[in-house]
Amino acid sequence: MIEVRALSKRFGDKLAVDQLSFTVKPGQVTGFLGPNGAGKSTTMRMIVGLDRPSDGVATVNGRAYREHGAPLRQMGALLDAKSVHKGRTARSHLLALAQTHGIPAARVDEVLGMVGLESAARRRAGSFSLGMGQRLGIAAALLGDPAAVILDEPVNGLDPDGVLWVRNLLKGLAAEGRTVLVSSHLMSEMAVTAEHLVIIGRGRLLADTTVDDLIARVAVGSVLVRTPEATALRDALVAGRATVTSAEPGLLQVSGASAAEIGDLARRHGIALHELTPRRASLEEAYMELTRTAVEYQ
Amino acid sequence: MITFPRVARAEWTKLVSLRSTWITLGAASVLAIGLAGLIGYAVHRSIEGGEPPLTLAQAVGTAFLPIDLFVLVLGVFGVLQMTGEYGSGLIRATFTAVPRRWPVVAAKAVVLTVLTLPVMAVTALGSFLLCQALIGDTGAGLGDPGVPRAIAGAAVCPVLMGLLGLGIGTLLRHTAGAITTLVAALFVIPVLLGPALPNDWEKNVMKYVPTVAGQAMYSVGGGGGPFETLSPGASAAVMVGWVALVLTGALALLIRRDA
Repeated sequence: MIEVRALSKRFGDKLAVDQLSFTVKPGQVTGFLGPNGAGKSTTMRMIVGLDRPSDGVATVNGRAYREHGAPLRQMGALLDAKSVHKGRTARSHLLALAQTHGIPAARVDEVLGMVGLESAARRRAGSFSLGMGQRLGIAAALLGDPAAVILDEPVNGLDPDGVLWVRNLLKGLAAEGRTVLVSSHLMSEMAVTAEHLVIIGRGRLLADTTVDDLIARVAVGSVLVRTPEATALRDALVAGRATVTSAEPGLLQVSGASAAEIGDLARRHGIALHELTPRRASLEEAYMELTRTAVEYQ
Repeated sequence: MITFPRVARAEWTKLVSLRSTWITLGAASVLAIGLAGLIGYAVHRSIEGGEPPLTLAQAVGTAFLPIDLFVLVLGVFGVLQMTGEYGSGLIRATFTAVPRRWPVVAAKAVVLTVLTLPVMAVTALGSFLLCQALIGDTGAGLGDPGVPRAIAGAAVCPVLMGLLGLGIGTLLRHTAGAITTLVAALFVIPVLLGPALPNDWEKNVMKYVPTVAGQAMYSVGGGGGPFETLSPGASAAVMVGWVALVLTGALALLIRRDA
């Protein structure tokens, strides 16, 4: 369980994170979404105690991360795939991290196996590709067999196989009852990985919701109607308090009325319809709609 | 559970798993002993050519000329222990594992001392023995007054400079800035400070400058340098004071700021 309460971070006169509150529950994958510069990484850095909050608190399993006696057992973090000295082997890198907690060397070999790096264990990390670096970072996050995991953009630089692997890994960790928080700026990736979503923009909370609720809540379902009597139908719809826009003559985009209601209305007025297509907003559109006003860098 | 011995063990693993650690210390040690030998041989030739034999202070000073260089090597080595982690981003993984942070720097100090002190002891003793052997009959011996203490000083002083570098690296975090600061503190400030101060001040201030105090640790009879120095023991205390000051300040800043 990760709890963030009224967390704020100010860099100079810029408020990177602004009174952010949310809870990440165990047993499911929580996606942490927002445009670039929304404050995702800063929030995650505050959760692991790398950045000091200007205000508010972040706790992991009931305590500030740094207050835990064995923090790697509470939470594993992948914040930056390049958190490794180029001259050290993958195994030495992990071994040094493990030794701070008295974690045995056998566990180092185990996590190297879990991320598929056993054959590269004695290679120097400087020779690793971006994808291998991500795998090494994930191995470090798993070292302490932690109750919670937070990963910042873990699929960056991975090939399609790697993306699928991370997706299954995260789902597996959640299924074991762990708390999983994973950030991304891509809704499409979160849509297939996460069950719960925390969406931020300009450092503020925009939505704390499930994937299904997000579509229902934000998506303004519209219906595309093609008719030779567009003017008459539009008048009838507007009278019925639907919103109508028109992109081309004879084509109406209607929101605020279902396809069935529009069809019935047309029949009552004796208007012929040539096409009646309900359009369901995608998760991507819902996300764009939410963050449209909160995009920091266009 | 995080314990200090475990953090120290982890830092030991980090230090010995880098090839550059062994290359730096090995090359510098061989170079220092070799240079001491060369200088000793040069002195031997000039005495043969009619120059007067060296005094004890000069003989000891001659053997430890390369230590002046080693002081810089270990200072940079200390700087890199910290700035290398910031430069590579490893510091984020390190401080995620040990979020209280100060044990990491304390462990680095312990591990740096444990690794470099034996290397320095061998280097200091080797430099002295080779240099004096090549100087010949007029060279100093281990039994001469103040010599064992000067050898100990030559071993300890570079280690203290390494710790000073560690503190500067922790304070500044960037390799280039920290090394520049270290070089300025060790070599530029002493050169500029002397002329900048009135004469009676110069006498009282210069002996507290790290380079001057450091050299006093491995000299006999003041070493005949341009400045008045404190006794070797007091100079060592001054050096320890500088190290403690810089490291304490670095730790205070380290636990407050964003990593």
